Amino acid sequence: MQLRRQTLILIAALCIALAATFFFGFRAGKTARHVHWKNEAIRGWMTVPFVAHTRHVHEEMLFRAIGVTPDRHDRRPLRDIARAEHKTTRQLIDQLEGAIAANENKAP
Amino acid sequence: MSEQILAALARWGEPALFIIAAVASVGIPLPVMLLLIIAGSLAAQGALNFWMAVFVAAAGSAAGDQIGYAIGRWGGRALNARLARLLGGAEKIERLDAQARRWGGAGVFFSRWLVTPLGPWVNLASGAAEYSWLRFTFWDTIGEGIFAGLYLGLGLAFSDRVQEIGSIFGDVTWGLLGILAAAVIGWKLLSGKPRAAETAAKPSAAQSV
Repeated sequence: MQLRRQTLILIAALCIALAATFFFGFRAGKTARHVHWKNEAIRGWMTVPFVAHTRHVHEEMLFRAIGVTPDRHDRRPLRDIARAEHKTTRQLIDQLEGAIAANENKAP
Repeated sequence: MSEQILAALARWGEPALFIIAAVASVGIPLPVMLLLIIAGSLAAQGALNFWMAVFVAAAGSAAGDQIGYAIGRWGGRALNARLARLLGGAEKIERLDAQARRWGGAGVFFSRWLVTPLGPWVNLASGAAEYSWLRFTFWDTIGEGIFAGLYLGLGLAFSDRVQEIGSIFGDVTWGLLGILAAAVIGWKLLSGKPRAAETAAKPSAAQSV
């Protein structure tokens, strides 16, 4: 009886392990399929030069769009810049997204 | 939490990398893999020196691993004695110790860079099993060097896709852990039956004598 219970627990654990493997494998594959065309989302931890690098735009343009003096050594995360500029991080990210979109529309 | 850690890396660079890697190695769940990939991206942008970052990340992780090993070695025995009373006796703990000594090197090495979620547990187990400190440090340093080089290299190569790459490799690691768990459980299921039959046969043999 005890043996049967242990076997059933092991079978259940095996099913969970296989389901987890399938889930993570599937999710990894799905992300890998979209990695080429999806733009990197802008997050509050990123610096302006980091955003410029991931979105392939000039950092001066981004600094100007958020009203900050361009400085390529400015390592402040967006959340800190937002606080200093009395804005929310979301507002700052929206400004950056807007500037990037405008730049893309301008490009031939 | 994760946002604050990544912000600290972006702002403070190497010192933040060292501290976060060390804290994560002790067993605090922090997104180290993503952190290393982002550090690689920062190196691609010239904000960090790549080789310095590899060294700092590996040193931080190794320092955290040493703390885990020390906790297991000097705090683990008392803990083991308590657990032994609760979970089936000292014999079982002795068997686990023997397994740790036998598989110690491979366990330490692969849990550094391939199945990283197991790392903090392997540190504690290695210390509690009194696995040789020199061997632990040797395999740990090599493994952490590979871990740091691999993920910083990925960040360097895919510097404009760090979040997706971090997500993919995070899922791959958990998937590998799932495969490992399935293999261990499968092996237990297959090898458990004859042993169980053997133990079931023993009392009846004793009765007949």
